[in-house]
Amino acid sequence: MTRSRSNPFRRVATGSIFWWLFIFALIPNAMVVMVSFMPRGETEFVELGLTLESYGKLLDPLYLQVFWESFWLATLTTLLCLVIGYPFAYIIGRAPRHLRPLLVLLVIIPFWTSSLVRTYAMMILLGTQGVINTALIALGLITEPLELLFTPGAVVAGLVYTLLPFMVLPLYASIEKLDVRLIEAARDLGARKLTTFRKVIIPLTMPGIVAGCMLVFLPGLGMYYVSDILGGAKTTLIGNLIQRQFLSARDWPFGSALSVTLTLTMALMLWAYVVAARRAAQKVEA
Amino acid sequence: MMMKWLVLLFAVSTGAFAAERTVVVYNWAEYLPDEVIRQFTKETGIRVRYSTFDNNESMYAKVKSLNAGGYDIVVPSAYYVYRMRKENLLAPLDRSRLSNFDKLDPRLLDQAHDPGNVYSVPYLWGSSGIAVDGKRVDPATVKRWADLWRPEFKGKLLLLDDMRDVFGIALKTLGYSANTRNPAEIQAAFEKLRELLPNVKMFNADSPKSAYLAGEVAAGQIWNGEAFMAALEKPSLSYVYPQEGALLWMDNLVIPRNARNVAEAHAFIDFLLRPEIARRISAEIGYSSPNKAAVDAMPPKLRNNRTVNPTAEDLAGAEFQTDVGDAQALYEQYWSRLKAGR
Repeated sequence: MTRSRSNPFRRVATGSIFWWLFIFALIPNAMVVMVSFMPRGETEFVELGLTLESYGKLLDPLYLQVFWESFWLATLTTLLCLVIGYPFAYIIGRAPRHLRPLLVLLVIIPFWTSSLVRTYAMMILLGTQGVINTALIALGLITEPLELLFTPGAVVAGLVYTLLPFMVLPLYASIEKLDVRLIEAARDLGARKLTTFRKVIIPLTMPGIVAGCMLVFLPGLGMYYVSDILGGAKTTLIGNLIQRQFLSARDWPFGSALSVTLTLTMALMLWAYVVAARRAAQKVEA
Repeated sequence: MMMKWLVLLFAVSTGAFAAERTVVVYNWAEYLPDEVIRQFTKETGIRVRYSTFDNNESMYAKVKSLNAGGYDIVVPSAYYVYRMRKENLLAPLDRSRLSNFDKLDPRLLDQAHDPGNVYSVPYLWGSSGIAVDGKRVDPATVKRWADLWRPEFKGKLLLLDDMRDVFGIALKTLGYSANTRNPAEIQAAFEKLRELLPNVKMFNADSPKSAYLAGEVAAGQIWNGEAFMAALEKPSLSYVYPQEGALLWMDNLVIPRNARNVAEAHAFIDFLLRPEIARRISAEIGYSSPNKAAVDAMPPKLRNNRTVNPTAEDLAGAEFQTDVGDAQALYEQYWSRLKAGR
C-alpha cells in the first residue's frame, strides 16, 4: 500500500482508469437505472418521481416474446459456433508448434475490419445477384437464384461468422494446454476414442468451452444490426426494442428498464459462469 | 521582446475570432451540397459550422437537451415543426430579412404544422409512393397501394423501415387519414398490415434504392428522391403515385429559440431560398424544391420529371404527415407487434 502510494506511475495509471470508468461507465449506468424508475413525461423525457410502471410493462407477452426470440437466436449462434469452432480449435491446438502462431493470426485477421463492414460484405455474397448465386447459376446447378439474403438463415450465418473467433480463441487456449500424456494414458487403459473425448478431453477443456460460449452468447444478444441488415429488419430483437424506446417512442424509462433487465440477465449468466468455472477447476484437481 | 510578440499575436488572433461571424447548422445527412456551403462563406464571410443527423428524434433530443440553444438552424420535418412550436423551442422568423421568401410556392406554405409560416421555411419536400421494377412486373398493373397485397408479390416487396410511412400505406388503403389518432382505425391498419407481411421481403430506410438496384425486390415502397437517383442507374425502375394518395413530408428550416447567431441564420436561410441555389440543391439531392422560381428555372427534362416534380393530378389524395400526439405510443406498440410477428 505504501509502495503503491509512493509510485507515481502506478497512481496515475490506476487513478486515470478509475476516473475513466467512473465518468463514462458508472455514472451513465447509474443514470439509466435511475431513469428506469421514473415516470414518463409528455413534454420532458422523464418526470421526477418513483414508479415501477416501466418494469410492469415488461410482463406484456409481446416483450417476453422479444426476449425469448433474442435468447433463442443467441443460443443457436453459440451452439453452431461451438460445433464449428471446437474441431477448428483442436486442429490449431494440435498443429506443429511453429505453425500455431500463424494459424491464430489467420483467425484474428478479420478483426482488423469493422464487423459492420464484414456484415455488408455478407450481403454481396448472399444477394440475388451475389457471388454465390451467380456462381451456382454459371455452374448450371440452379436456374433461378436462391433466396439466401433477408432470411433467418442469413442472420444466423452472419452472427456465426462474426462471432466464431470469440469461440475459437479461448478453446484454442485450453486445448493447447491439454497434456497429451493424459490422452495417451486413457488409451493405454483401454478407453476408446469417443470415451477419451467424452471423459478426458471435454472435462479438461471445459473452462475454454464455457468462456467461448459466454463470449459468443453475450454479444450475440446485442448485435441487432446483423438481423436488420441480413434479415431485412423483419424481426424485433431486444436491441431494436431499446433503440426504438429512446428514439421514436420517446419512452426513456421503458428503454432504461429494458436495458437494466438485459444487463442483469447478462450479469446473472456471468455469475453462473464463474461458479461453473470454479467447479470445473475443482473437478480437474480432484 | 519575445513576450511582446506573443502578446501581440494573441491580441490579433482573439480579435480575429471575435470578428469572425459563424452560423451553426444542423441538417439531415447528405442533404446539402458542400459546394453551396462554400459559396455562402465566400460571399458573406460567415463561417458555417455544419453537423448532421439521421432522424428527427435524435435532432429533437439534442435541441431539447441544449435548451433550444447551441444551433442556429435545424431542419425538422413538418410534424416535428409542430411539436417544437408547441413546446416553445422555436424563434419567430424575421420576414424582413428573408428577401427571397416570395419565391416559395404558395401551395406549400401556410400548412397545418405552422400556419402563416411564422417559425418555419420549407426546405425540401417529397413523397413516399410505389416503386416498380419494369423487368419483373408490368408497371401498368400497379396503380394503387392496395395492389401490393396481391398474392403474386409474395416475398418480393420492400417497405420503408419507417413506422409512419408503413402505417400510412394501410391507412390510405382503408380510406382513413394517414394522420389518424383514432385507435380503432390504427388497429384496423395493423390487421391489414399483418396480411401484407408475407409479401414483404425486407424493411429498409437507410438506402432502399440499393435493394431495388440489386434486384432483391420487384416492387414496394420508396421515397421519390431515392427513386429518382435509382432510375438514373436502372431505367426500368418507375415511380408510381398511388391512387389512394401518396404520403407527403416536408423538411423545414427553423431557428431554435435561444440561437446565438440570429442575423447569420437569417442570411443563410435567405441564401438557400435564392432560386439558383435552391435549384442546385434539388437537382443534386433529387427531392422536390418548394421554391417555385427554382423549379421554373430547371432544365425542361428535370422540371417535367414527375418523380421530382409531381403534377397536381399525381398528388390527388396525398397527405402531409403531421404529429399524432399521444397516439404515437399506440402506433409504436403495434409496430413492435407487427415486427415480432404477432
